[in-house]
Amino acid sequence: MIEVNKIYHSFEIGKKEKKTVIPVLKDVSFQINKGEIVSIVGKSGSGKSTLLNIISGFIKPTDGEVKINNQTVTELSEGEFASFRLQHIGFIFQNFQLIPSMTAFQNVELPLTFKGMNEKERKQKTLETLERVGLAEFKDHYPSELSGGQQQRVSIARALVVNPPLILADEPTGSLDSDTEKSLLAFIKQLNEELGITFLIITHDEEVAEFGHRTIEIVDGHVLEEVGK
Amino acid sequence: MTFKDQFKFVRQNLKKNKSRLFMTVLATAIGVAFLIVLASVGFGLHKSLISDMMQNQLVTQVEIYGKEDSQGLKNEDITYFEEMDGVEAVTRRNELAQMPFFQLDDYTSNTNAIVTHFPSEIKADFKLASGRLPEGENEVVVGYHFTESLIKNGANPEKLYDDEGNINEDYVYTDDLLNKEMDMEVIKLTDGKETKKTISVKIVGIAEKPARDWAYEEHVFISEEILQEVEQFTGVMRGASEMYEGGELDANQSEEVYDYVKVYANNVQEVEGINKALEDKGYMIYSIANEMKQINVIFLIMKIGLIFIGTIALIIASIGIYNTMTMAVTERAPDIGIMKAIGAHPRTIKNIFLLESTYIGLLGAIFGTIVAYGISFLVNLCVPFIIQTAFDEAAPEGFLLSYIPWSLTLISVGICLLVTVFSGLRPAKRATKVDVLKAMRREL
Ligand SMILES: Nc1ncnc2c1ncn2[C@@H]1O[C@H](COP(=O)(O)OP(=O)(O)O)[C@@H](O)[C@H]1O
Ligand SMILES: [Mg+2]
Repeated sequence: MIEVNKIYHSFEIGKKEKKTVIPVLKDVSFQINKGEIVSIVGKSGSGKSTLLNIISGFIKPTDGEVKINNQTVTELSEGEFASFRLQHIGFIFQNFQLIPSMTAFQNVELPLTFKGMNEKERKQKTLETLERVGLAEFKDHYPSELSGGQQQRVSIARALVVNPPLILADEPTGSLDSDTEKSLLAFIKQLNEELGITFLIITHDEEVAEFGHRTIEIVDGHVLEEVGK
Repeated sequence: MTFKDQFKFVRQNLKKNKSRLFMTVLATAIGVAFLIVLASVGFGLHKSLISDMMQNQLVTQVEIYGKEDSQGLKNEDITYFEEMDGVEAVTRRNELAQMPFFQLDDYTSNTNAIVTHFPSEIKADFKLASGRLPEGENEVVVGYHFTESLIKNGANPEKLYDDEGNINEDYVYTDDLLNKEMDMEVIKLTDGKETKKTISVKIVGIAEKPARDWAYEEHVFISEEILQEVEQFTGVMRGASEMYEGGELDANQSEEVYDYVKVYANNVQEVEGINKALEDKGYMIYSIANEMKQINVIFLIMKIGLIFIGTIALIIASIGIYNTMTMAVTERAPDIGIMKAIGAHPRTIKNIFLLESTYIGLLGAIFGTIVAYGISFLVNLCVPFIIQTAFDEAAPEGFLLSYIPWSLTLISVGICLLVTVFSGLRPAKRATKVDVLKAMRREL
């Protein structure tokens, strides 16, 4: 599903003479198979988010390549990557990243609109997906009128609505209390088992890490892979 | 993303800041209205002038003065004109070179005497109001206004006209003119000595009122024979009262020469071709169509200038659109970041913002056009009134200060859209450049 090959990345900060280069990822390589739930763990600042952002196409790596579904995504232009994300990747973010001026329904509908799906099909699919995450009755609520857990479920619905084979999540439980966190994890498990969706989840939470099939630990920009339970 | 969805999306976005939308649309509408109203003055004056010219002079008419290296226009020239493509009629007139006095009962008229070729006049739309065409050599047809030139003998010259410039009623001839006998008096001057000759003529017809209001026709159409009689009496060409150099009656010049020749085209479209053919042949002509061509060029330049100035107003309005769009992009940067993250193509983002600025431009153009039509209507309503009060004179009939043809509306809306799309380009481009990660961290 995902192949990460010899990824190097460093950030440059400051301007001209004062410029300093911060190396973050050094020779990172690993593979993730279809249907796996893989957790990425590591200390804060170890480069986990940077790695996920490279896989997502939000950052271009300094060197190395990433393949998703046999497509070398690191070669894609910005526009091509956007279309690729629309077709293949769902996202769950730590602070949900819902558009505040749109209702739950409109937020979930948005990726289908981008795809150019016709209105009737789109409405039906959106409603189905909201039902799946158990929020059908909250469809006309704005994000500010929903709890954290509900917002996160809206964002999961938005990720699911295009039927992606892969979902990337950067600390999805970071803003949730422990009860909500538990039910979210259970839901991820369910989606993985029922729909065969591959999950790559960043966390610094022991509980989250243990619940996946496999854990990849980043230390100092290097990969320390641990075999799954 | 389909166009329909983009459009819906844009409308939703615009609803979020109605006052800003309103102000931007207002600025654009003012710009468009200014452009249209300003340029409409050029169109209005042009139209008024042209229609005025069309009214005052026949557009299908070409006057021919003569031919280079030639002694006046002869029958062969007339034949040539008559055989040209698109020519309806060729009229030719000669005028008696002195103004005779016509005595009718107790009234006298001092007016021109003209010889004409009636068949061609009739082809050129000459009509009689009453009576018939002359048959005998002493029969004449008078112009429609001939009565008004008849003044009672012994009238007090100071009381001849009233305050408004009309002839004093007491001196006006009111009787029927038809079948009245008149004495036509011509004079001859030899060494300062005046001799008179009187020829008796009979009015058999009265010409129809000229189609053009301003035209005033009080002349008398006499026969060729009477003209010759006067020529014999004075011994000068065209019956002038006094001999001048070259005015001798030339016995060898048996061929007729015409003083006033006019060619009438079948329709306006033919005039240009006729003019060109005549000019190529070396004829000296005057045609209102030629004049109009120059006027059209001048007005075209004027219109372009006015549109250019009006466009400046639109460019100023477009700064408002640029500002609005830049603010919209800044405000919505977090949303744009999210949309890009979940797979919106940069092109889609760009299209949405371009559509938004175009939509604002279109709204401005629509309202501006409506307002412009309103202002134009009011201006045309008020201007005759203003002219009336300021100059104490009625505005010319059909005068339009402001005229908005479809082409002007289209040009203005086109310029407006062009300017607004252009001003929306940079903000739209900026929207596509929004950094996903920064936007999601709310760092923008
Ligand atoms: N845009 C950036 N510019 C400069 N340095 C950055 C940027 N993003 C991350 N870093 C640095 O890269 C390192 C890794 O960051 P990150 O990947 O966010 O770590 P983690 O998610 O594991 O906490 C940190 O030292 C951070 O300061
Ligand atoms: Mg992180």
